[in-house]
Amino acid sequence: MAEKQLSEYVTLVSSDGFEFRILRSAACIAKTVQKALDPAYGFKEDQENKMTLSNINGVVLEKVCEYLYYNQKYAKAKDVPDPDIPPELCLELLIAADYLQC
Amino acid sequence: MIAGRGRQRIRPPRRSLQGDSDIDFENTWGTIASAFREIHTKNASRLSYEELYRHAYRIVLKKKGEELYKRVKEFEHEWLSNEVRGSIQALFSPNLLADTQSLGGTTTNERRVAGEKFLRGLKQAWGDHQVCMSMLADVLMYMDRVYCQDHRRPSIYTAAMFLFRDDILNSPTSDQDGRVVLSLLNHVILDQIQMERDGDIVDKHLIKSCVYMLENLYEDEMESEDSRLYSLSFEREYLDSSREFYRQESELMLRDSDAGAYCRRARQRIREEEDRCRSTLLEVTAPKIQKVVEDELVKNRIRELVDMESGVRFMIDNDRVEELNLIFDLNARVDPKKGELTRSIQKRIVDLGNDINSAALVASQAPAAATAESGDKGKGAAQEKSLNQQTVAAIKWVEDVLRLKDKFDSIWRGSFNEDQPLQTALTRSFADFINSTTFPRSSEYISLFIDENMKKGIKGKTEAEVDAVLEKAIILLRYIQDKDLFERYYKKHLCRRLLMNKSISNDVEKHMISKMKIELGNNFTMKLEAMFKDMTISEELTDGFKKHVAGLGDKDPKRIELGINVLTSMTWPLETMGNDDDEESKRPKCNFPTSIERIKLGFEKYYNEKHSGRKLTWLVNMGTADIKATFPRVPNKDGTFRERRHDLNVSTYGMIILLLFNDLPEGHSLTFEEIQAHTNIPHNDLVRNLQSLAVAPGKRILLKEPMSKDVKATDRFLFNESFNGKFVKIKIGVVASGNKVESDRERRETEKKNDDSRAFQIEAAVVRIMKQRKELLHQQLVSETLAQLAAQFKPEVNMIKKRIESLIEREYLERMEGAKTDMYRYLA
Repeated sequence: MAEKQLSEYVTLVSSDGFEFRILRSAACIAKTVQKALDPAYGFKEDQENKMTLSNINGVVLEKVCEYLYYNQKYAKAKDVPDPDIPPELCLELLIAADYLQC
Repeated sequence: MIAGRGRQRIRPPRRSLQGDSDIDFENTWGTIASAFREIHTKNASRLSYEELYRHAYRIVLKKKGEELYKRVKEFEHEWLSNEVRGSIQALFSPNLLADTQSLGGTTTNERRVAGEKFLRGLKQAWGDHQVCMSMLADVLMYMDRVYCQDHRRPSIYTAAMFLFRDDILNSPTSDQDGRVVLSLLNHVILDQIQMERDGDIVDKHLIKSCVYMLENLYEDEMESEDSRLYSLSFEREYLDSSREFYRQESELMLRDSDAGAYCRRARQRIREEEDRCRSTLLEVTAPKIQKVVEDELVKNRIRELVDMESGVRFMIDNDRVEELNLIFDLNARVDPKKGELTRSIQKRIVDLGNDINSAALVASQAPAAATAESGDKGKGAAQEKSLNQQTVAAIKWVEDVLRLKDKFDSIWRGSFNEDQPLQTALTRSFADFINSTTFPRSSEYISLFIDENMKKGIKGKTEAEVDAVLEKAIILLRYIQDKDLFERYYKKHLCRRLLMNKSISNDVEKHMISKMKIELGNNFTMKLEAMFKDMTISEELTDGFKKHVAGLGDKDPKRIELGINVLTSMTWPLETMGNDDDEESKRPKCNFPTSIERIKLGFEKYYNEKHSGRKLTWLVNMGTADIKATFPRVPNKDGTFRERRHDLNVSTYGMIILLLFNDLPEGHSLTFEEIQAHTNIPHNDLVRNLQSLAVAPGKRILLKEPMSKDVKATDRFLFNESFNGKFVKIKIGVVASGNKVESDRERRETEKKNDDSRAFQIEAAVVRIMKQRKELLHQQLVSETLAQLAAQFKPEVNMIKKRIESLIEREYLERMEGAKTDMYRYLA
């Protein structure tokens, strides 16, 4: 399994069935995702290049994906503009962040 | 940022995110545990990470983190004890276990195979454990992050590593055996290393992975750097067993092989251990094992090694440059000062040097002893011969010392990496034996060596060769402690060379002086240079006087030419020249024949016109004269007659004696006493000159009655009319006027004079110091005096004391009253 070519994109699935195909490098900013997809371990997620997050719904997961890209884009930049976060999602996002460790 | 967005309400999170609130812990744990089992059996592909992670996440959120943590540990404990330990124990082959009890019974090869199997199994178990635990740890990441950090527990991964240590390594090898796996592991690794030391090939890679395991396990929970199992358990044993091994090996090698082989072996061992640390063990061990090997093979043995029969002494004598280099290298490892090597080298130098010294003493004394036996007859000649012998001994001594120096220099370059402290030690040893109190002649010998080379040695040599010879002399000179004694001898020898025109090249002489000037300073060569100056001035004087005489218009065909050297009495060692008698203070005026007297007076007048107020003393014993002598015709074989003319080169005294016979009617003779009465030549000089005129074979200008080698007061002398020489020019040397080693009496005299002049120098130094310091402790004064005079000689403390006493008597200093220790005050 170590020889397997890693796909560029991975799929994150929300609890309500939405699928988000995002760059592996962005997805792996979340430690939980990174470990789940770790080719050295060979869990089911790694075999399928797909991770189902059964306690995050599509709205929140979209925001999460947005954030992952945002994080990747500005990783080394200064004077970063604030991300656009709707207040009503704040708490759910925090919990998701805690879960995903990002 | 949120505050800026107005007053929108933040809704509480929906229930669904937390999942079912009433999840059953036991059920969830059951799922997790079975999943862990799958992981341990490498079936992870069927498991969903997200699911497991979510389970753990929920349990932690339910504040059941502690329970989970405990369960996981228990699970791992069970797994290790039941599954892994069994498979490890299965590896204990009888060979392996048998070996732990007794060494015999199994062959090395069997042991190695069994050991490798064990190591491989353990490595496999460890590797699996590591991989599984990192998977587990990642699944339980949320627990690690939330529970472990909050409760200051070691992460689950770390905890699992401890479990491996406790359940596998610290478990007994078998039910009956009290030993634990860890000690067996150490033993096996050591055994493998031992096999490698004995020349077997072992799987370094395998050992290294086991070593890594030990490195990554810690004795306590703190994971501090020095509690690694590697350093606590294995390394210690490794160092101990290595120490034992090398102790035995060094003992064996010292007994069975020679020093060179030992050195090569030791060096090889040191390299091996270095390599072993790199390839098999850990780099951190390198300095420690290095020290063990060096301690056992070198430090504890270097003394024995150096003193071995085939040790340093043997190597030096046989020019084993490479082996000496090995010893040097080994010694340098354990002792930056290289004490043992230095000690033995120094001892060898001093031994060899003393051999040279005593050989020179024997060579110089043997003929002297023979002289005593040979009685009165021919004593003079024998003495001369013995003096010659001594000169030869002196030259040989210098050459031997130089050879020794060359030898050690080349060893130093070839073997000791031009090590500075060693060079200092070499220099000190050379100085030691050269200045040895049992051998007081080195100053004289070195000066003689230079003298010999100036007179003969450098003939026909190129500039570079001459320079090399001079350089050698300077090297030796550097070692001489009593430079003043050398100066005295050198002055004496130089004086002879200059006055008798023995020196081959004036340039070389001056070159030598300038070399000495560089080496010993201006003070040292001042007087020597003054001697050269006198010589130049004298040449001018001679020329001037010649012109002066010619200007007088006194066209006397029989005019005698005068070549004169005017010597400043302070700079020239006149007292050591020629005149051995103690009557020099009342040096008798010798009577010159009128023709000579006239020219002498003429010169005195001329000189006094140029320099008023100077007194000229004629050193007749130092001069020479060229005489044209005409011998009466004698019939040749074919009946013809031939007048024979000879140019005789004789000493001034010889000339005076011969001139006496000019006025004598043919056939008349003079007795010794008559000659003495006429000439007033000192007795000894007269004897010597008459000997050379009448006794030396082939050069008998005079005939002596009765014919014998000794000259007695009643002997009669007459002109040898039938003298027949082969050459036109004949040089008649005066007996024993060459440059020879001093006789004992002369030496005593030289030493006495030297002591006298030292006394002055010490006094001068003391006064200089006191003038500056005004008041000084006795001890300080002595040490400062020693320091000041170090460049010239090393005075004895006793002598300094005496000089201080004398200065007090003469009221230059005074003792300070009431001082606790001796203290002096300078009296202006």
